[in-house]
Formats: sequence, C-alpha cells, structure tokens
Amino acid sequence: MMKKVETITGIGSLTTDVLKVTLENDNIIYVPKDEANTDYQAIQEWAKIEGNNIIDNGA
Amino acid sequence: MALTRIQPAAIADVREPNFRNIVINGDMAVAQRGTSTASITTENYYTVDRFNTFITTLGTWTQSQDTDVPTGSGFATSLKMDCTSADASPAAGDRLVFQQKIEGQNVQYLKKGTSSAVPITLSFWVKSVLTGTYIAELYDNDNTRQVSKSYTISSASTWEKKTITFPADTTGALGNDTGDSLILQLWLGAGSTYTSGSLNTSWAASTNANRAVGQVNLANSTSNNFWITGIQLEAGSVATDFEVISFGQNLLRCQRYFQKIDATGTNTIITTMQAYASDNAVGDLPTLTELRANPTLSTTGTFNAWTSDASNKATGAIALYSASTTQQGILFTRASEGTLSAGNASGLYAGGSATILLSAEL
Repeated sequence: MMKKVETITGIGSLTTDVLKVTLENDNIIYVPKDEANTDYQAIQEWAKIEGNNIIDNGA
Repeated sequence: MALTRIQPAAIADVREPNFRNIVINGDMAVAQRGTSTASITTENYYTVDRFNTFITTLGTWTQSQDTDVPTGSGFATSLKMDCTSADASPAAGDRLVFQQKIEGQNVQYLKKGTSSAVPITLSFWVKSVLTGTYIAELYDNDNTRQVSKSYTISSASTWEKKTITFPADTTGALGNDTGDSLILQLWLGAGSTYTSGSLNTSWAASTNANRAVGQVNLANSTSNNFWITGIQLEAGSVATDFEVISFGQNLLRCQRYFQKIDATGTNTIITTMQAYASDNAVGDLPTLTELRANPTLSTTGTFNAWTSDASNKATGAIALYSASTTQQGILFTRASEGTLSAGNASGLYAGGSATILLSAEL
C-alpha cells in the first residue's frame, strides 16, 4: 500500500523519469514512469482514488 | 564409413523451444529475495523467484525454500507453505493461490486463439498434510478466459506426482508482448465466490464461481503444511521429464524479472560515480541482464561514498536513489554530507550489509 507518491528533482540538467513512493511501512521505492512496470500501473490506479495526489517537487 | 542421413520424418513435427518448460524456476532453486518469510497475509513475491503468492484474508503463512523433496527425484529444493494462523471459515471473496505469471511473447508457440492451438500439460510434485481436492488453473489474462482442472492429494504428508493436461484453446490469442498473458494458478484455498458453481474444465470466459469448485481449505488448521516442486508446464498432451537446467541459467532467467545486487561487506565497491556538486554525484550501474521492463528500485542497508582527494576518506551514510532506471542500467544520484568536489570521481560502496533490488515482475 502506498502512503505518498512524489516526483524527485533532477541534478542540474539531469531530469528524472522516476517517482519516489513511500509505502505504508515507510519503505521507499523508486518507480520509473514505464507503462510496463506493474508498480507504475498501481500508482496510476492509486492516483485515480479521490484524495490521492502525486506531489510535484518540480522534477 | 558412410554417413547416415537423418530422414526428416524421424524428426518430430513439433516446434519445441529451447526451454520447453514454460515455468521459470520450477525446481524452486533460485530464491534471491530470501529463503523464508513469515507473517504473510498479502499478495507479493516472497521467497523463490518468479512465484507470486496471491492471498486475500485467508490465514497467515510462513513461506520458505525447503529441502524436503521427493526421494530419488533429483530435486534439491521445494517451496513450503506453513499455516501459522488458521481461517477455517473463509469469507466469500477469500482466496489463497500460488501462481506464476507468464509473458505473452514467451508462449506464442502455443498458438492459442488459432485453429492450430495445442494442449498444455502441467506436471509437479506435491505433498500436503491436508488431503483432498485441489485446483490447478490456467488463466488467460489478455482475454479473461480460464480453464480449471482438479487433482487429488491422496495420502497425507506423502510426496505425489501429478500430471494434468489442459485442452487447446482456439479462442483468444495471447499478446506477443511483455505483459502477463498467461497465469498458472495453483489454488490452496477459496471462498464461495470461487467455489459456488460448476468447475469449468474447458476454456471459457472467466466466471469466478466456476474457477475453484471443490478446493479444500488449506488454511483451516495451523497443522497444515504444503510443499511443491518440479513444476513444469509444456506444450502438448504428454508430460516429459522435468527439464533440468543449470543453476546459472535458471538464475539468469529469473533476473529478467528481479535482480538483487548484494554488496554485503564493508568497503565492497558497487560502482563509481562522478561528483556533480559537493552533495551530489551521479553514477551508472549496468543491470545484470536486460529486465522485462524498466525496474522499480529499492535498497536495504547503508551506503557510503569514497571521495577522490588525497585522504580517500569516506563520507557519512548517503541516501541512494534512482534518477533514472532503464532495462539496461540504473542512474544513481546521491546526497552526501557535502564533502565531495565537483568533477571528481567517487566510489559508491556498502557500509556493511547492503543490497540494491530491481524489480520488473509481472
């Protein structure tokens, strides 16, 4: 279960294509924005739920 | 000596793949995530690679890679499910399924969804404290179709070999892609949602009530243990001997879906990076083999970095994260205590026991 999903900032001109996900147990995973990645698929479903938002940190 | 020409008719008219066992890690030999996990109550990949445990509020389990194997079979490991908290009265929607999801592009030769479709045969060794009827199912995830077959465990706590042939399916082609097209599901328990109909033994559109009719409830007692190994799924209506491949080949096939980069040991260098600023560095870590998809990254343990000045001193513990993951490599960035020098090299190393986990599971 996901507790928080947020973008991560790049370094200099390096941009990111990864989301930082904090799980209910406070473990952190980094999920690429790849439609074939099942964790990204889960994030997309999670984001459809009222009240769930991906926090934009200005990636 | 005259050479004997092999007549074409002597060669079976079967397009047999290099790996005839569709199931990966059927001998339960590879367990990158670990050999035992306790307190299992939710779906995940736990111990042996490629096998997913799908559970919906049906008991609590310890899963382990075990050395209890059928005598004389040649197997060294099995998968064990140990019920540690029972649920003798499953709710309607409860279920416990041991499953493997299979990429569509790996099973095009089954010709499913065409007039040339072939039957599929499943064989495995199984041992259970609880005797009775169990269900094996093939689920077509692209077309929401399924077929189930029952088998009987006759003797308690005794290894038995089971062989099941599923019919060919001329309806519903499997996607020629990296998605989870076909799922082998071995049911261990089910609520009435999955048991209230008539077992569907021919391919048909999926109806939950017909999927696991007759399935015993392995979660009905904490005395229940279940072992399985030697799982083979193959084209045709004949179960051949289990296809033995080397551990290395087996591991490589598993690493398409999950890779554990073990950096255990203080000062074990993982990769080199270049400092971008005093508190950031960038490095690339090629993956061990190409993954099915861009992987999710997670880490355990502590990482440190060597600076490249004369003292070669280490910075403090760093937060390792991924700025980009691809199927071929991972780009790391890091935040340190501000002791790096922009432009200089830096070595990423483990501060004791540490792992990098990459998952592209189905």
